[in-house]
Amino acid sequence: MSGNSVPLALPLSRLATGESETTTLYRELRKPLLRYLVCLGLSMDEAQDVVQDAFLGLHRHVSGGGSQENIRGWLFRVAHNQARNRQTSYDRRFSAPLDPEIDSLLDQATPERAVLEKEKFRRMAKAIDSLTDCERECLLLRAGGLRYREIGDVLDIPTSTVGDTVDRAIKKLAEECNG
Amino acid sequence: MGNFSGKLIAWLDHELPDNEATEVERHVKGCAECRSSVHAYGEAGNLFDAYCEAVVASKMNRKHSLWTPVLTGAAVTAAVAASLLVFLPALSKQSAPIEQLSVHSAVVPLAADVVKVGAAPVKRRQQRRDHTRIQNSARALEQNLVQSPEQDEATNWMATRQSVQIAIPGDAVFPPGVVPEGVNFIADLSIAADGSAERLHLRP
Repeated sequence: MSGNSVPLALPLSRLATGESETTTLYRELRKPLLRYLVCLGLSMDEAQDVVQDAFLGLHRHVSGGGSQENIRGWLFRVAHNQARNRQTSYDRRFSAPLDPEIDSLLDQATPERAVLEKEKFRRMAKAIDSLTDCERECLLLRAGGLRYREIGDVLDIPTSTVGDTVDRAIKKLAEECNG
Repeated sequence: MGNFSGKLIAWLDHELPDNEATEVERHVKGCAECRSSVHAYGEAGNLFDAYCEAVVASKMNRKHSLWTPVLTGAAVTAAVAASLLVFLPALSKQSAPIEQLSVHSAVVPLAADVVKVGAAPVKRRQQRRDHTRIQNSARALEQNLVQSPEQDEATNWMATRQSVQIAIPGDAVFPPGVVPEGVNFIADLSIAADGSAERLHLRP
């Protein structure tokens, strides 16, 4: 925090009774969850809503004596299902052509680097467009740090299928981006 | 490459059993084609991650740019309210000098006209006294507006401190329903030297 910044206390109560564990989980998993949801096509507001709901659901789940095994997979599954309920056409938005806002982000780099990065991102956008829903979701969950078994839990598919799907998807991306 | 082609990505992801992972590792060390493939798969995965990060950053920036006018407006309103709360009592204490200043300011041009047409010495002395009182009043007002730190901290925060603590209800910043009950935020408000809101950062 800079010297001329002061904390403002907003009138909001605590997240859960098991505060320290839930807070630690929130700090660790909020960003990967947000990234997963946003990349699925939700707006930032929608994604933040879903993340908050998922953590509130986790609080109820833990308070109600629910299983604490594979909490990460549990959170991603709840968030994934809520995202599906909220947004039925997210895959179309995610695979849209390279967002001009990304161009503006890249413009902050050196011109040569920006050109290279833009070209790479254009190829990646095209490659992502060629993926199936399942392949895209597997890669997004993999990017969120989930193991194949956890990905299988979230998407309700066998672990072996996750392995095959990730293998196929990465090869498509590599072919498109390096070809 | 042979049988190992379908295991390279799982090996990269540390998803193979130990015995298979050792076997793949040994093969990759001696196979240039597999090493090249592993490199390409790693690059593709990293680029996918970077692309996702850029998408998130893009949406975050767009959200910030949409909220900037609202947050700036809220911050400016709060700053104005705080300024009024701080300065109104100070100004009310100085009401007499302000009145003198305004009255005597009106008198000065008239007195100057009188001097031009040869006013009496009594009037010139009165004019000088008036002028001196105006200057003294102005100096007093100026000193009271920019006081030394030990005089009154409540009235000099703008001059010495560039921050202020303001409680903003969540409903005033976010649309209804966006911030559910039961969630905490800390907001860092940075105020620039010119008094404008420089940055408002919310963090859980």
